[in-house]
Amino acid sequence: MEVTVRIKRYDPEKDGEPWWGEYKVEVDETDRVLDALHYIKWYQDGTLTFRRSCGHGICGSDAMRINGYNRLACKVLIRDVAPVITVEPLLGLPVIKDLVVDMEPFFAHYRAVMPWLINDEPPPPRERLQSPEERELFDDTTKCILCAACTTSCPAFWLRGEYVGPAAIVQAHRFIFDSRDRGAVQRLEILNAPDGVWRCRTIFNCTNACPREIEITKAIAEVKKALIFSRL
Amino acid sequence: MFESLAARTAHQAERSGNFELWAWFFMRVSGVILLLMVLFHLFWMHFVIGVENINFAVVAERWENPLWRIYDLFLLIFAWTHGANGMRYIIEDYVHAPGWRVTLKTVLLLLYFALISMGAYVIFTFRAP
Amino acid sequence: MAYFQYDCIVVGAGGAGLMAALYASRSASTAVLSKLYPTRSHTGAAQGGIGAALGNVEEDHWEWHMYDTIKGSDYLGDQDAIEVLCREAIDVVIELEHMGLPFDRTPEGKIAQRNFGGHTRNYGEAPVKRACHAADRTGHMILQTLYQQCIKNHVTFFDEFQVLDLIVEDGVCKGCIAYEIATGEIHTFHAKAVMLATGGWGKCWSVTSNAFTLTGDGAAICLRNGIPLEDMEFYQFHPTGIYKLGILITEGVRGEGGVLRNNLGERFMERYAPTLKDLASRDVVSRAIYLEIREGRGIDGKEYVHLDATHLGREVIEKKLPEIADFVRTYLGLDPVTQPMPVQPTAHYAMGGIPTDVDARVIVDAQNTPVYGLYAAGEVACVSVHGANRLGTNSLVDLVVFGRRGGRHMAAFANEIDLQPIQDRDREKRVRDQLERLLSGTGKEKVATLRKEMQKIMMDNVSVFRTGEGLQEAVDKLRELKERYQHISVEDKGKQFNQDLMEAVELGNLLDIAEATALSALNRTESRGAHSREDYPERDDKNWLKHTLIRRQEDGSYCFDYKPVVITKFQPAERKY
Repeated sequence: MEVTVRIKRYDPEKDGEPWWGEYKVEVDETDRVLDALHYIKWYQDGTLTFRRSCGHGICGSDAMRINGYNRLACKVLIRDVAPVITVEPLLGLPVIKDLVVDMEPFFAHYRAVMPWLINDEPPPPRERLQSPEERELFDDTTKCILCAACTTSCPAFWLRGEYVGPAAIVQAHRFIFDSRDRGAVQRLEILNAPDGVWRCRTIFNCTNACPREIEITKAIAEVKKALIFSRL
Repeated sequence: MFESLAARTAHQAERSGNFELWAWFFMRVSGVILLLMVLFHLFWMHFVIGVENINFAVVAERWENPLWRIYDLFLLIFAWTHGANGMRYIIEDYVHAPGWRVTLKTVLLLLYFALISMGAYVIFTFRAP
Repeated sequence: MAYFQYDCIVVGAGGAGLMAALYASRSASTAVLSKLYPTRSHTGAAQGGIGAALGNVEEDHWEWHMYDTIKGSDYLGDQDAIEVLCREAIDVVIELEHMGLPFDRTPEGKIAQRNFGGHTRNYGEAPVKRACHAADRTGHMILQTLYQQCIKNHVTFFDEFQVLDLIVEDGVCKGCIAYEIATGEIHTFHAKAVMLATGGWGKCWSVTSNAFTLTGDGAAICLRNGIPLEDMEFYQFHPTGIYKLGILITEGVRGEGGVLRNNLGERFMERYAPTLKDLASRDVVSRAIYLEIREGRGIDGKEYVHLDATHLGREVIEKKLPEIADFVRTYLGLDPVTQPMPVQPTAHYAMGGIPTDVDARVIVDAQNTPVYGLYAAGEVACVSVHGANRLGTNSLVDLVVFGRRGGRHMAAFANEIDLQPIQDRDREKRVRDQLERLLSGTGKEKVATLRKEMQKIMMDNVSVFRTGEGLQEAVDKLRELKERYQHISVEDKGKQFNQDLMEAVELGNLLDIAEATALSALNRTESRGAHSREDYPERDDKNWLKHTLIRRQEDGSYCFDYKPVVITKFQPAERKY
């Protein structure tokens, strides 16, 4: 079938402003939006630039706005968004070229929450023990692939880039609720800042955008609860 | 630049302590309380007194009972604090220019104290003529 | 254009690269160069598990793991290296857990383990639970955990830097030349030791589980620098890729009890591998599927069979195999709880690659002569621990064990020697000129067209079953494609984020690797492991129990050399499952 793809283009070396490119593509039933983008790049306009790698929703490279919603281009089936598909770069992060955005602010927020296991006790000779129930507590937030779909779908983040963002909170959650971690107090303190977890207005865009179906707003709420109860 | 962002966020945590935490907690608690108090207030006004019956004399009579004054005082404090804090959130989110932020938040704070004081004063000192 | 100096440089930020960087950075100044943001690396796609004889669920010993790996390699694996792999696997998995990796747990709280193809107890008696797993996202967890540790330890990253060439002079590696994708600038990285951990090259084929970015960069650079590649003819086709898409459905499905069925609903693996059946080694299963399809028993006569997990129940699938359930639902609109999944063999893993010793040092001949300061680990390397065929869960072990050993060795080496001066000052200019030629070329050939033709000939002639005729046809076609590659033009002429140019560079790498693969396959006149010749269907230990080394000479022609297989504990035997 034939579909029309409208892509927001921008070449920093040539364009003063972004402009809309329109492309007609012949696709198969099982094709994804990523396949259409590749087709355009390889056979119609070689200057089209976008990040991608695994092609099946696990690396998080190709997060972008498709018909207004943050999605991974390799997971969106064309037949679900045909006949006219609008593709734009993520919001809230500076656009470098076409669909490529500057991920540095996103990764800086990630690093700010100390996303590594904190445990200075000498480890046992074998694995540290953890019950299946304890493992279950933070299972959801281990799924995060750092694709930035959540943070860049959050209106609070659009309005204020200093907000640490849902992804960073998810990463912090993964450790705060891991029974082997001893850094909960430190991380909660970092997230206690006005631009930490309290900037969340419970809008839920993040939960909708997450391609891994992590219940992000719920995780953020659990962090808020942990903060409240640690002060009561 | 972005490493300093992290440092600034951490620094903010030290400075502001738990204000945002308690503000958030207050919104949740007062939200629930307000739901109950407002519904009860509406119920009382509509079904017990009857809206078409409300006039100065009815209010004066109601306020002869100190319990009603206390009830209305709490309703005022919770509603206006909840509302004003909400307005503070909106200013925080949407107003980026630092000059305007400070100005608007100051005006809000003044308005907050002004209205709370006026309202409390009325509730406490009202005497039926 | 800038000049950087480090003790150690790691190229590639997957499991092997990150592990090496973590270890090297403890005692030497280290930088990681990666063409992707590290968490995008393909290690994250690995699903099933990491194999180690922890013995948490059933009795297990590293000697059994060693035997399974050697047999799985069809006796081509170097047994001293395999012993290192299996011994250190236990310690390295525990180390990963200490770093915070969230493994699934047994009721007692220990790391959970499950069955996996080719892993047995007591030297082949019956399947054993050796694969340590985190749902079906084990690779993702390993990648994330290692990246977290690198951030914690302030490892220096140069993200989105594509390495274009090594600096090798007089048998010594002195650094590399890299292209900064964001700006188009070319930089020289001067170092005492460089490790290549750039991954595989599944994109040589049209149906593959590999990412678009897996284009054999490190291996091709070595080939072009006169460093031989080892065992290139051995490329694994994973039996269960989603039909047409190539996306992997983990062996873990069969580990949990899923079975393969043909058109007649028959569990055909019972015929091909009576003991292990669907959990036989991957090359055995891929060939079985191909044969079934060839004999007309593919589903609806088409080129796929069914992977049936319907009898596992919703609970097991949602809890233990959520990823593949998601893939199948998203891409095929099927529910694995109630419907079987259409699968076909998909190009998956390179057993061959840059030859190394057990400390990840690159070696160039049968005498183990090293290239001083050059290391390789992960899929791009050939130690050789996988021989002619790799067992599932052994790649993740390979990454962390040899990544660790390489990281340690390269840091120790860097601390012993002085930085060697670079003699050839024009290297950067030559690399720049090559890029200029690609950029300013006015030829009519397009990267996409050449790549598609290469992928087709490779899929048709250099995949699960090969013939001398087909391989020769592939060699000729690839030569033609390389000639046409000289006449490509790139549409994007910009400096910033020129992906068009990078794809052209990557195609060059793919063509070199494809050629080396086809030539090696043509050269080896026997069938062993993943390399199946219909004209030479038997394994020939007398003539072919040796590793192939293919080297490109100055004039562009290839020559072959051989390296003996190291045999210590287990004599080669017939391979039956």
